[in-house]
Amino acid sequence: MAVAPLVSRDAPLFRLRGVTKTFPNGTVALRGVDVDIYPGEVHGLLGANGAGKSTLIKILSGALERDGGTIELHDVRIDWRTPKEAKGVATVYQHTPLVPTLTVLENVFLGREGRALVDRGRQRQELESLFERLGWRTDPDTLVSDLPLGQHKMIAVLQALARDAELVILDEPTAALAEEARALVLETARRLAQTGIAVIYISHLLDEIVAITDRVTVLRDGRVTLQARTSEIDHDALVQAIAGERLLAVESAAAHATRVAPKVALSVEGLRSPSGIENIDFVVHEGEVLGLAGLLGSGRSETLHAIFGADRAASGLVRVDGQVVGRSPSAAVRAGLALVPEDRARQSLVGGWEIWKNMTLPDLPRLSRWRFFPSPALEQARARRAFHDMAIRAPSANAPVSALSGGNAQKVVFAKWAYGDAKVFLLDEPTVGVDVGTKADILALVQSLAREGRAAVFVSSEFEELLAACDRILVLRRGRIVAERLAAETDEHELIRLAGGLG
Amino acid sequence: MSTRRRSPTSLFGPDLLETLRLQRAGVVYALILLALALEIITKARGQAGFLTPINVTNVLDQSSLVGFMAVFMTVVLISGNFDLSVASTAALGGSVCVKLIGPWGFYPALLAALLAGIACGVTNGLLVQKLGINAFIVTLGTLTAIRGLVLVITDSRSVQSSSETLFSFEAGRWQLPGWAAISVGVLLVTAGAARLLAGRRTPGAPPLDRLTCALLVFGAAVGLLGLLNDDYLNLTRPTWYMLAAAAVVILALNFTVPGRRLFAVGGNAEAARLSGIRVDLYRIVAFTLMGLAASFVGVIYAGKFGGMNPDALTGTELTVITAAILGGTSLFGGAGAVSKSLVGALILYGLNNGFNVLNVGSTYQYLIQGVIIVAAAAIYTSAGRKRRYGWRRRRTDPVVEPAVEDEEEQVEEGARITA
Repeated sequence: MAVAPLVSRDAPLFRLRGVTKTFPNGTVALRGVDVDIYPGEVHGLLGANGAGKSTLIKILSGALERDGGTIELHDVRIDWRTPKEAKGVATVYQHTPLVPTLTVLENVFLGREGRALVDRGRQRQELESLFERLGWRTDPDTLVSDLPLGQHKMIAVLQALARDAELVILDEPTAALAEEARALVLETARRLAQTGIAVIYISHLLDEIVAITDRVTVLRDGRVTLQARTSEIDHDALVQAIAGERLLAVESAAAHATRVAPKVALSVEGLRSPSGIENIDFVVHEGEVLGLAGLLGSGRSETLHAIFGADRAASGLVRVDGQVVGRSPSAAVRAGLALVPEDRARQSLVGGWEIWKNMTLPDLPRLSRWRFFPSPALEQARARRAFHDMAIRAPSANAPVSALSGGNAQKVVFAKWAYGDAKVFLLDEPTVGVDVGTKADILALVQSLAREGRAAVFVSSEFEELLAACDRILVLRRGRIVAERLAAETDEHELIRLAGGLG
Repeated sequence: MSTRRRSPTSLFGPDLLETLRLQRAGVVYALILLALALEIITKARGQAGFLTPINVTNVLDQSSLVGFMAVFMTVVLISGNFDLSVASTAALGGSVCVKLIGPWGFYPALLAALLAGIACGVTNGLLVQKLGINAFIVTLGTLTAIRGLVLVITDSRSVQSSSETLFSFEAGRWQLPGWAAISVGVLLVTAGAARLLAGRRTPGAPPLDRLTCALLVFGAAVGLLGLLNDDYLNLTRPTWYMLAAAAVVILALNFTVPGRRLFAVGGNAEAARLSGIRVDLYRIVAFTLMGLAASFVGVIYAGKFGGMNPDALTGTELTVITAAILGGTSLFGGAGAVSKSLVGALILYGLNNGFNVLNVGSTYQYLIQGVIIVAAAAIYTSAGRKRRYGWRRRRTDPVVEPAVEDEEEQVEEGARITA
């Protein structure tokens, strides 16, 4: 689907034709992608997780080699093998790698090759001209660690300019930023394009894409599903191109209805935190699975951490069974809250410990004589039960938990809480890093917890999964609840629109 | 998903062999080798021998103060912290006790000393946990500051006491009677045997776990000593204090809920916190116990010498930490064993004693000690690595490559600007 360039006299900077990529493990990431990138345009790149965006930009920046197809830069075929060869392509990732203990000036010119001696005077002049080009400036001698987080992006953009980049790839640049910093980054993207640089802008936030890009390319399952001028796109077509026509295995609405009891298990009032959430209010009933749909940076994990008391700066009222919960994880656990965090290895498992020891950690007093002397027999019985119930695959319950695959490790995390008193489960992306088969196991596990009359708050950026697992879904955007839908009455398209800001 | 149902017996494999691995029990082998080597050399030279009851109990006595502190240092290290201030705290405890013993009498003075130690520990704990300053830096500071406090209290002069109670608190030996040792031994072996039989009957329980093993070996050793030569059980008071403290802490660490949680706190503080464990509290308590133990050691020290030098025990903190490291305690928290830290202390003082017995003098002593420390660390590290690889090879389950989300992938890769 070729689209005429904005300024027709320009030849494309990059011309990609039939680019394919298959990973050694058999995953096909790109199945023949045609894209033209023109100088002076902001080109939006969209797609769900796993659609191939990452692979595409890695190929463009030389971090990955393509398997097939051609890439031309200025009409010359290129075959890059290392990022070093991809001179002229600068990628600004979500998390900006700057040296916090160096100044702005030093960071901007960090690692620029061909300079044996540092000529600070010349660098200063050059930095001033870069400031001018960008229409933004700061004190060159400030330490980067003293800059607000939002400005780190700007330093990364300056780095790109200092290297004479012709193509700047901005990868989810606003995901973790506050409103003001976000506006600055958006403006910067436009400005870069005005100076003749090509900009690839990747974002999940559809309103941003619509606001600042000239053209968009949508990828799905490694193919281009839409390529058009932004001004000519209809929002529904955009959402359709991202989500496709995937069919869902949703539990019937009737089954949901019979499971959910009228009794409120968890209520949250006026929850807010400097981590980026504002006035979150909701209730979850016994036997209900409540979904929190939100994109990266929407405050979905932050909400769970605030409820659990793990975020010390958060304020608001959390009640479990009508009782107010104290603001600390230990109080939350006593009250019957259980957190299944996003980063299992770092936040939930003691890596060197045996599987069974990890399983019994939160519920140890109950498995102890006089609640004080842990009973190996009770602990091992618990582990045996969990191995059986959850079909955990491991050489032995004595194996260190660090040796487990993602899915099995996640089951161990569930086992930590499933047999205890926990009344409300806070699940933060419980299927991240889990293989497809185990994913279904975990969703079934959540359903079975709900059938026991327990409640769950299920956070995910995969909306298909939320629709399959939840009774009701709240949509989070920029730290606020922007919509509430019954799972049976909404679909993935609507959720994408709402979370992306096109609702 | 295909699930291989495993028989319950294989779910918990025997871990006896695991217990005896070089990496886990290396320090014990090292002590045995050292003792045998010294015994052979001394015997060959026509001397009385290293393993005579009087020499063995002397080595135990010499290592008792460091050993006592190493017990609690192990607790601090397991919790994921570090305490350099122990020697200063001990000196403070000793000085406070000696200064107050005249006006107040021994027991109130002892109490005051212990409270001073607790105060030091709490201060360390609050600074580290509540202000979030690195434990190394905090305790490096309090190491100096508390020593300064000792100088203030003692007016930079050595203080003396002629209190009989203080003296008798430290001096003298106490014989565990042979019949008592035999009864204890029989009791422990019986308990071990009972566990062994119970384990046989219960499907799924390991046939010979660590506890059973420890009961049998330790019980047999005590019983045999009582039967054959109870001179080995005629120990000095500080040795008994050390053994008692070690026994209590070993039991607490291995067989209680707080003990298990302490290991979790050191092993992964964030996971412990999100499991509802009060991480700060555990770590502050560890520091507090350390302070208490150190001041108690200071009082014993004062009893030994009838007073206190303001610079007494300077540098001992490193010996204490060395003992714990020789015992395989991790400097990063979450792993360690009190018994092995004691063995570490015994190696250090066994070497010391061996040099004296052999009349080698102290010229080579530090060089050899240093080599031993590095060698021990090398063994632990390389054994640990081998173990990890071995584990990978033994692994039977297929590794499923996690399907990583776009966004997560980039976080992991670290961002990179290509130029």
